[in-house]
Amino acid sequence: MGKTPKTSKTKSGTVITSANATGMRKVLISMRKHWQIYVLLIPAAIWYIMFAYYPMAGLQLAFKTYKVREGIWGSPWCGLKNYEAVFRDSYFWNSISRTLMVNLGRLIFTFPAPVLLALMLNELRMGKYKKFIQTVFTFPHFLSWVIVASILTNLLSIDGLVNSVLTALGGNVINFLGNEKLFTPHLYVSDIWKGAGYSSIIYLSAISGIDQDQYEAAEIDGASRWQRIIYITLPNILPTISILFIMTCGNLMTAGFDQIFNLKNAATKGVAEVLDIYIYRITFEGSTDFGFSTAVSLFRSVFNMLFLLIANKVSKLLGGSGLFG
Amino acid sequence: MSATTKMKKRKRESFGVMDAVLFILLTLFLLCILIPFLNVIAISFTSYKEYMQSTWVIWPKEPTLAAYQELLNDGRILIGYKTTITYVLIGVPINLVMCTTLAYALFRKGWPGRKLVLTLVMFTMIFNGGIVPMYLVMKSLGLTNTIWAVILAQGMNTFNMILIYNYFNSLPEALVESANLDGASEWTILVRIVLPLSKPILATVVLFVMVQLWNEYFMSMIFLRSKEWQSLQQVLRSIVMDSQVVDTAAQLADIGDRNFTDGIKMAAVMVTMVPIMCVYPFLQKYFTKGIMIGAVK
Repeated sequence: MGKTPKTSKTKSGTVITSANATGMRKVLISMRKHWQIYVLLIPAAIWYIMFAYYPMAGLQLAFKTYKVREGIWGSPWCGLKNYEAVFRDSYFWNSISRTLMVNLGRLIFTFPAPVLLALMLNELRMGKYKKFIQTVFTFPHFLSWVIVASILTNLLSIDGLVNSVLTALGGNVINFLGNEKLFTPHLYVSDIWKGAGYSSIIYLSAISGIDQDQYEAAEIDGASRWQRIIYITLPNILPTISILFIMTCGNLMTAGFDQIFNLKNAATKGVAEVLDIYIYRITFEGSTDFGFSTAVSLFRSVFNMLFLLIANKVSKLLGGSGLFG
Repeated sequence: MSATTKMKKRKRESFGVMDAVLFILLTLFLLCILIPFLNVIAISFTSYKEYMQSTWVIWPKEPTLAAYQELLNDGRILIGYKTTITYVLIGVPINLVMCTTLAYALFRKGWPGRKLVLTLVMFTMIFNGGIVPMYLVMKSLGLTNTIWAVILAQGMNTFNMILIYNYFNSLPEALVESANLDGASEWTILVRIVLPLSKPILATVVLFVMVQLWNEYFMSMIFLRSKEWQSLQQVLRSIVMDSQVVDTAAQLADIGDRNFTDGIKMAAVMVTMVPIMCVYPFLQKYFTKGIMIGAVK
């Protein structure tokens, strides 16, 4: 059994290591032998070149002064001039700090929701009812933010259902949507409303993978149900929780364009300007300086990558599988 | 064995305080999700007169299709449907071809450059140019204001490709190897052997892409600024946003009975949402698997 992989290993080893003529010929022969594979690669290769790598090359505009007539490649270089302008723009720094604030809040308020939900669903004993509520909980995930925002706006507007009930109970009308202070809470609530059910699936399947003997032993030892949750279920899904937590940290610079763009309105647009909204505004609304907005875009992409790589590294150090290889 | 005895034991345990608390909490969350939907449905079928008497609509006394009629008369929703259905009809096959061919090529080991291709593909998952260069590329290709900008930008999804790739890797290797030794071409192996065995994952990806394209909003907003082509989500947003303006104007001028804006808005939400509801039972059958494979990677 150990024989075949060994020989194949040495074979491919010689192909790669020897940079001499015979090595090159072997590669060419191998390429010719696999020509059909390369044909199959063509559609995806065209796509990745045109719509992934060519735009990446376009990021050079961050260091150029964009001239419409010269295009991306012909525009003159300008060094770090764009970045000097970006770093002087207070709106830029505001959007960065707002993005980080919103996402830190998400880690605190949104992240635990699916864990709690999964723990609760797991303990619920009514099988049929459980299936029904899970079906309902998961559904909003598949709706667009435009739909979700429309539904929630209808519900929370001044003449919406919630305010009707409040006034019927003798309370005052609350302006949920036009209040800057309520905007970030509104983001978290809508996050949970839309996504908690779907995200809880991953924890539920982690729970279903727990060795049942542990529960039985605990039961024999007289552990209460509560103790079983705290001392068996929770520790067993902790690896899943920590990996997802780290991965969420990797997205600290992305605050969800569709959600915020559709939930904001004239009254809350000041607090809603996260990095993605800022990039959209400077690029597609008002006067456009593509060099400037590409500079911001590149900044965002680089930091996104750094956060993701750090998150991945940490996850691997903690014994997780990591997202990439 | 141990699982079944445990189940029996659990069933024998009485319905305690904890069960009651769980039941109440979960039911509360259930209501938080259900009531907004019921409210949307109710308002879309309510007449303006009834709505004015009380905005607290649980279910209309005299259901009416007036709001839907008004929505159709407005006509924008039809443009939305036309555009989004075109996305799905063209985009799903493109995605499927791109993902399966790439996944298959990566799945077949031993060809020079495989590692490099895999690295280049994975790299796009952590780094991308962002929307600004993408816009300039589409502009230089002359694709802005055509649906092709959106369809091509959404033509490939690396995450879906990895789902398929992982599934291919789980297939018995002997099947492919023996076909290879029999001299079958790669194309034959892919179409005759691998794809027929991969129906579950292909169904999953088709459903994912359908939902993704149905919900397409961002790219459409950036690339489609014509009156002729507008994605459904764009149309929905413009209806919801525009009628907010109309709403206040109508209230000020007290001519609200001309058209019932809240009703039209909710009818538009319904019309956009119902197709997803129809696909949902199928989605539900597959998405757990999808998340799991995605999580393993």
